[in-house]
Amino acid sequence: MRGHRRWFSGAALAVGIIVLAVFPLNSTSYTNYQVALVATYAVAILGLNLVSGYAGQISLGQSAFFGLGAYCGAIATVRAGWPLPASFLLACALPAAVGLLVAIPAVRLRGHGLAIFTLALPLIGVALAKRYADLTGGSEGLGARITHAPAWTGLDTDQWTYYVVLAIAGVLFLLARNMVAGRLGRALSTIRENEVVAVSMGISPHRYKALAFALAAAFGGAAGWLYVYTIGFVSPVEMELLLSINLLAMMIVGGMGSVLGSLLGGVLYVYIPVLAGTVDPVRTTLLYGAILLLVLFFAPGGIARTIRRLRDRPRDWLAGRRRGSGPPPSGVATADTDAVAAAIQRR
Amino acid sequence: MRAVQQVIDGLAAGSIYGALALALVLAHRATGVVNFAQGQMAVVSTFFAWSLVQAGLGVIPAVAVTVAASLLFGATVERVAMRRFERESPMIAIVATVGLLLLLNGLSSLIWGYELKAFPPTFSSATLRAGGAVVSITALGTFLVLVAAVLVLYALMMRTRLGLALRAVADNPDSSALSGLPVGHLLMVGWGLAAGLGAIAGCLVAPKLYLDPNMLAGVLVYALAAAVLGGFDSPLGAVVAAWIIGVSENLAATYIDFIGNDLRISVPLLLTVLVLLLRPQGLFGRREVVRV
Repeated sequence: MRGHRRWFSGAALAVGIIVLAVFPLNSTSYTNYQVALVATYAVAILGLNLVSGYAGQISLGQSAFFGLGAYCGAIATVRAGWPLPASFLLACALPAAVGLLVAIPAVRLRGHGLAIFTLALPLIGVALAKRYADLTGGSEGLGARITHAPAWTGLDTDQWTYYVVLAIAGVLFLLARNMVAGRLGRALSTIRENEVVAVSMGISPHRYKALAFALAAAFGGAAGWLYVYTIGFVSPVEMELLLSINLLAMMIVGGMGSVLGSLLGGVLYVYIPVLAGTVDPVRTTLLYGAILLLVLFFAPGGIARTIRRLRDRPRDWLAGRRRGSGPPPSGVATADTDAVAAAIQRR
Repeated sequence: MRAVQQVIDGLAAGSIYGALALALVLAHRATGVVNFAQGQMAVVSTFFAWSLVQAGLGVIPAVAVTVAASLLFGATVERVAMRRFERESPMIAIVATVGLLLLLNGLSSLIWGYELKAFPPTFSSATLRAGGAVVSITALGTFLVLVAAVLVLYALMMRTRLGLALRAVADNPDSSALSGLPVGHLLMVGWGLAAGLGAIAGCLVAPKLYLDPNMLAGVLVYALAAAVLGGFDSPLGAVVAAWIIGVSENLAATYIDFIGNDLRISVPLLLTVLVLLLRPQGLFGRREVVRV
């Protein structure tokens, strides 16, 4: 059974890669940019998932790191003339350093304190971006057309962008998957479920939470760089709190504590506005909120867990037997264990 | 003299933050949920009041009707949207209120649109002079409304059977249920009261900010900071913390060059984090004891 499933996953992955590789050659440049944006936001949500989904620390600050990474990419290349790879490293390293600095007080706060603290980051970020206008371009933003398809590839810029963004996002997803499948993921899950148990097993909650914060910031920064690479522009809007809130919403809808869920979150983040009628921001906000609440009501584990459930128990599902009768999928919190952990914390 | 003026302005601003912070604390005490949608619910109430005024009602009656309607609105939101998440992890509950925030924001844009709307002032626009400082009647009125709200709430909580029941449910819902208290209804009352207070806050601030769907986003940040600083289960703490925040924000924006007007929002947040690191339960909160 297990080997069969692994074979199936491998085949699906191979088909997926081939489809993604051929796709941009036959599609419009608009679609190519859109898919690149899906990958971009998926990376930001993946980072958020590390700190919120796996470590259970609510963060409303992801847009600050996204914006910081975007500004790093734009400023380093346009103003300082750095080569692209160097600007990418900066866009990961600087947010990670800031994330670590933020984490030092943040990991000592619980619940509300942490939410308020992370809430502050986008607000401060936007104010700083507007203040240092000679560097950032202020409210008007900073144009950074840094993407040029090399002549030897024979590709158009949109196709080249597509390949570069998807390749980087793919590597980052692989990296995250390996991290959460190993020691780090197990340690974070234990901390999320029950800190007392974690401490008794020699896992330092402070150290691991700080690590999760720094990693989330690095992924957020990388996503910001990908954004500038795709769009060629950055402004304080890319830092605003609303982006953090929407990313958090789409992370939950896609699937908390799930790598696949982060990818789905990126898809939803980009395509819900399209669904809402392209440019009407009113209906976009309404749909984000409505979909988030619907998922919380009817599929609390997000779409990723629902998919996994359907895959794991197709016969149970077809026979209409009670769902969730089997053991819960590893690495995903169930309502019961959460309640027990919360009760222990409260007592 | 300039400093005295800054303190007075700070207290006026703090009174607005305090009203919303009080609403947050009420909802939190009732159900243990930090309601990120509290500000957005208040915006819906304020739009409702605006519509009443447009329909020809006077400002004071419109606000009174709105507060009454908001009691029902808050109770409905608790029962329909939040009940399901109260026993879940705090994180899911917070995310649910974030979903509510987005939903209500979208709904109010859909119903009332994005254009800024002028809200008629509740108080006269005259000013009083005392020494060299200027106090507007609006600021004084806001301050007094907040003090009155605290006193009414205190009387309700400590001097009535309803208040006793509300406190019992906040303290231990299971035992309250076993004692025959209608726990579900009391949770709805808690959220109703919170929404009513939010409506008051919204109507007080609307003449100053103009009415639009995102009107209270900034105020919510200050109110959250005040509630956390005050200890989240202490109504008095929230109000005192809101005044501290209002005053320190004004003083810092005036006297610290680096802060200026654009970074003033960082003051309450840094203050809150500093206090929380030294005193995790907040200024007035009860210490949570963790037992294994």
